[in-house]
Amino acid sequence: MNDLTDTTLAQTAREHADMADSAAPVKMAARDVHVYYGETHAIKGVSIDIDMDHVTAFIGPSGCGKSTFLRTLNRMNDTIAAARVEGQITLDGEDIYASGMDVVQLRARVGMVFQKPNPFPKSIYENVAYGPRIHGLAASKSDMDAIVERSLRRAGLWDEVKDRLTDSGTAMSGGQQQRLCIARAIAVDPEVILMDEPCSALDPIATAKIEELIHELRGNYAIVIVTHNMQQAARVSQRTAFFHLGNLVEYGVTSDIFTNPREDKTKDYITGRYG
Amino acid sequence: MSDPLMPELPSAGGGTIAPRQPTDWTTDAMRQRIRKRYARERRFRRLGLVAVVMSAAFLAFLLVTMASQGLGGFFRTEVALPIDFPQTGIEVDKAALDQPGADLALAGAGLENIVGSAAIAAFGDYGPNVISDNAWLTVREAIKHDPSILDGRAVIHVPASAEIDRAISETGTPEAEAAVTKLQAENAITEGFNWRFLSASDSTDPTQVGIWGALKGSFFTMLVTFLIAFPVGVLAAIYLEEYAPKNRWTDLVEVSINNLAAVPSIIFGLLGLAVFLGTWTLFGHKVGPLLPRSAALVGGLTLALMIMPVIVIASRNAIKAVPPSIRDAALGIGASKVQVVFHHVLPLALPGILTGTIIGMARALGETAPLLLVGMRAFIATPPDSLTDKATVLPVQIFLWSDEVSRGFVEKTSAAIIVLLVFLLAMNAVAIYLRNKFETRW
Amino acid sequence: MTFSALIFLIAGLGLISWLTARARAARFDRAGRRRLHSLPAQHGWYVALWTVVPPLLFLLCWSAIEPGLVSQAVMAHPAAAQLPGFDFERQAVLAEARRLASGSQIGAFNPLAEQLAPVMAEAQSHYAWLGTLVAMLLAFAGGAFAFTRIRANFHARTRVERVVMFVLIIASLIAILTTLGIFLSLVRESLRFFSMVPVTDFLFGTHWAPQVIDPNDPGASLGAVPLFWGTFFIGAVIAMLVAIPFGLMSAIYLTQYAAPRVRRWMKPILEILAGVPTVVYGYFAALTVAPAVRDLAVMLGMEFASSESALAAGVVMGVMIIPFVSSMADDSIAAVPTAMRDGSLALGATTSETIGRVLVPAALPGVVAGVLLAVSRAIGETMIVVMAASGAANITLNPFESTTTVTKQIVDLLTGDAAFDSPKTLAAFALGLTLFLVTLALNIIALRVVKKYREAYE
Repeated sequence: MNDLTDTTLAQTAREHADMADSAAPVKMAARDVHVYYGETHAIKGVSIDIDMDHVTAFIGPSGCGKSTFLRTLNRMNDTIAAARVEGQITLDGEDIYASGMDVVQLRARVGMVFQKPNPFPKSIYENVAYGPRIHGLAASKSDMDAIVERSLRRAGLWDEVKDRLTDSGTAMSGGQQQRLCIARAIAVDPEVILMDEPCSALDPIATAKIEELIHELRGNYAIVIVTHNMQQAARVSQRTAFFHLGNLVEYGVTSDIFTNPREDKTKDYITGRYG
Repeated sequence: MSDPLMPELPSAGGGTIAPRQPTDWTTDAMRQRIRKRYARERRFRRLGLVAVVMSAAFLAFLLVTMASQGLGGFFRTEVALPIDFPQTGIEVDKAALDQPGADLALAGAGLENIVGSAAIAAFGDYGPNVISDNAWLTVREAIKHDPSILDGRAVIHVPASAEIDRAISETGTPEAEAAVTKLQAENAITEGFNWRFLSASDSTDPTQVGIWGALKGSFFTMLVTFLIAFPVGVLAAIYLEEYAPKNRWTDLVEVSINNLAAVPSIIFGLLGLAVFLGTWTLFGHKVGPLLPRSAALVGGLTLALMIMPVIVIASRNAIKAVPPSIRDAALGIGASKVQVVFHHVLPLALPGILTGTIIGMARALGETAPLLLVGMRAFIATPPDSLTDKATVLPVQIFLWSDEVSRGFVEKTSAAIIVLLVFLLAMNAVAIYLRNKFETRW
Repeated sequence: MTFSALIFLIAGLGLISWLTARARAARFDRAGRRRLHSLPAQHGWYVALWTVVPPLLFLLCWSAIEPGLVSQAVMAHPAAAQLPGFDFERQAVLAEARRLASGSQIGAFNPLAEQLAPVMAEAQSHYAWLGTLVAMLLAFAGGAFAFTRIRANFHARTRVERVVMFVLIIASLIAILTTLGIFLSLVRESLRFFSMVPVTDFLFGTHWAPQVIDPNDPGASLGAVPLFWGTFFIGAVIAMLVAIPFGLMSAIYLTQYAAPRVRRWMKPILEILAGVPTVVYGYFAALTVAPAVRDLAVMLGMEFASSESALAAGVVMGVMIIPFVSSMADDSIAAVPTAMRDGSLALGATTSETIGRVLVPAALPGVVAGVLLAVSRAIGETMIVVMAASGAANITLNPFESTTTVTKQIVDLLTGDAAFDSPKTLAAFALGLTLFLVTLALNIIALRVVKKYREAYE
């Protein structure tokens, strides 16, 4: 059984490996990052490079710190009073925790999609227009219309909603809501998109659509996806990082991780020995 | 991607989508925009801080105003009045001074005039205006306390008149100012704690008023309120939480309780007036009023109806918080439902119930409007001795004094407010203490 | 025998019967060597209830009819024939006789009262003894009946619990009875009022002057529109202009910005504002705020500025309502899922943008419901307007002018010596009914909105 899982995973990873390009430029880099929640040491010295134009998957058992680490990449941990981050994280070589760093700008450049779809209780149009509006990206109404349309198209939602843009964003199905959230995130033209288990609240069909969307988007953004589902990691990512108890155990090209893990812990995890 | 589960995405192929243009965050316009957004953020935050600080400042201002105006009410200006008793020719049987008729005997002996003359002798023609009209009462008490002072010259500290009081605290009439200067030079003016304020009742003379009558009235009223609202409220909560079937009746009860909690207090006053004090025609006979007007009984009943929903709601929440496992455990060893409720659920819910009750009682203690309507606004110079005597309560006393024209009442009103606030804060502190001490996370 | 002594006596009898019944039940236990259905104490309760409840119920009825019986006995006396025919004087004489009889008055002003006093005293003591006797008989009879019924297999517990249930149901019905009582008494008096004054005159008339009522056309000076306007202007406009911004901003600051330590201290401080009795606010408004507002008006060039302006009462009322609005807003904002907030922040919105564009719009139904409840509270508030607002019924938009409110007029109409059934007094009940219905409607709407809104996020 273990072998079977192993083989299937490795095969999936290999199938998608053609897109891996080891010479991609580094978009974000973390060096010896520690995160503390009050007394708890949640992330223990993680160093990792996030490459441009690739999908990087963070996998690991629950509570291993992968979501925590993801949230340090656009400083969403700032919203939690007890959280403290040490170490260095750079975006295009710029330290995002430096005092001169503008967190508002940072989050516009590093967008985020959450575990549970969280559309605002506004119309579909307003949901997508929200980001461009606060950042002043549209000079006119027609500009905004264009941005909304382009974002919805990229999120593969345009044809489904183009006739009901004024309907509430909360009235759609879960999968549509999540794609709306992705459209909302890409409307501000981010450079990096962080996805925190974006499919965990969705059914398989909706999940498939999101995965397809991630494929579509890959070429233009650095995408980081946290997932519980190793099949998913194998399907969508070119890089995989395995977290365990706050440590980054192994990081590498996805097909390598799944076919030929260097660490025993990684092997145990992907063969389903624990998790 | 040939997964049959995966429908073709409409946008697949990407040909229709314009290529991404990264936002240039470094342009001057963009930088300026971000600066503006941050400025707005700071302004908004400051606005919030201002709102909080202003609200707190208003409270502080209110408390400081009351304290600065009212503290004087607890003290009174006293004048040292020398009286040479043998010279006044007062004739009283000293032996009779510890007997019930002593007050009458002293009054009959012309004590009031004697004190007046002593004031003229001591402070000149303006003398009688220096001491309070009721100064002789203080002298009377002093004589009763120690009859031997009648044998010689005694200096008795008597309350000063309102005019002198005012001349000291602010500006008074020229005569009063002159008298004060003179008295101060002689060291004849002292400030003493005004015990009378705590022990006397209403009066037309601001120097003579006290809050004892009102406090006693408040006590009687609260007693009635508690005795009615607490048992009824708790029993109703028990029924609704533990027994009531879910049907239209209990829905109606629920809606009534929630709405009663929000009915303006004055409406309860109208209810009390119409039901307890109104007249009814039953079988051709005129019945009523059921209860005596202006009595603590009526006020207490009215307030009980008012705070009962508060107690019901608090008690229900407390009962709801008792975990079902405890009920199951008691039922499991064969206890009856009544036993479960009275032996297990109620004791565990009691802290929460008491907290709610104290908060409700504090509300009742500070309530004024409904009591005005049931007639508790009468001038009550003698403290009530029973639930059916005419009475007033502290908040109503404050209201009545606030209407008085005489300047001396301002101080007394604020002093009474201080007493009321002290009571209310104490009750709330007890409620918070109870809540913190017995707060259990199940 | 005084009433309270009688109560004590009955309670004592109850205790005795409880003890004896318990002792007896305990003996069953030992003698029969088998388990009782109910505990001895439950047998005790059963007998004690039978001893205490019947005489108490009797006394309750008796106290209602006894005064009638006494006055009937007095009327039967020949001296009563001389009583004045006019009801008011007649009542005064009888009241004096009653005081004489009870000893609370020593000398008599009215010779007739002096004559009737002994008759009254005799009748009173006669009926008091009769009542006591019947009560005692009932207590003994009830107790004895119950005592004979208890035996080893007697289901005392079931019966006692049935009584407990009954008491519980009665207690829960009191809430309905109160609501019903409020409604019926207001409607009853209002109907009497509307039989003298046409409803339309009252609801749409714009002239309010209850001091000078023309007996031929009372409706002409009892038009309540100025009161409705004043109530709305002070409670729903001025007070809300203070309470909503301050309450909402305080809630936002304390939940979104303030450090936990600040929040822990500031929240209770704001709650103290809600705990200050309204009479204190009223006094403060009248003594400190109103003169300041008048001075301001004079400074602004108003010649005859009122010292009982709508502004003073409204502002103080608004301050009183701040904690109420604040806690309602706090609850509604807290009910918005954090995911909403995170979603906005993750797009690069600032905190204030998130609050203004996402949190507050999402919490809007809750906030609106809170404001409705606050309005209902403000228009029902009495003491502040009684002490700081004027009695002059003006329809004005100028906050420095004086206006009056429904609650203030209710108090003014009912304090005075008007007869209970004059249009002036009854107008207070009509105003009360209007106030009751309006606040009820506001509350029902608000609770509906809140409920719907809570469901939306669950």
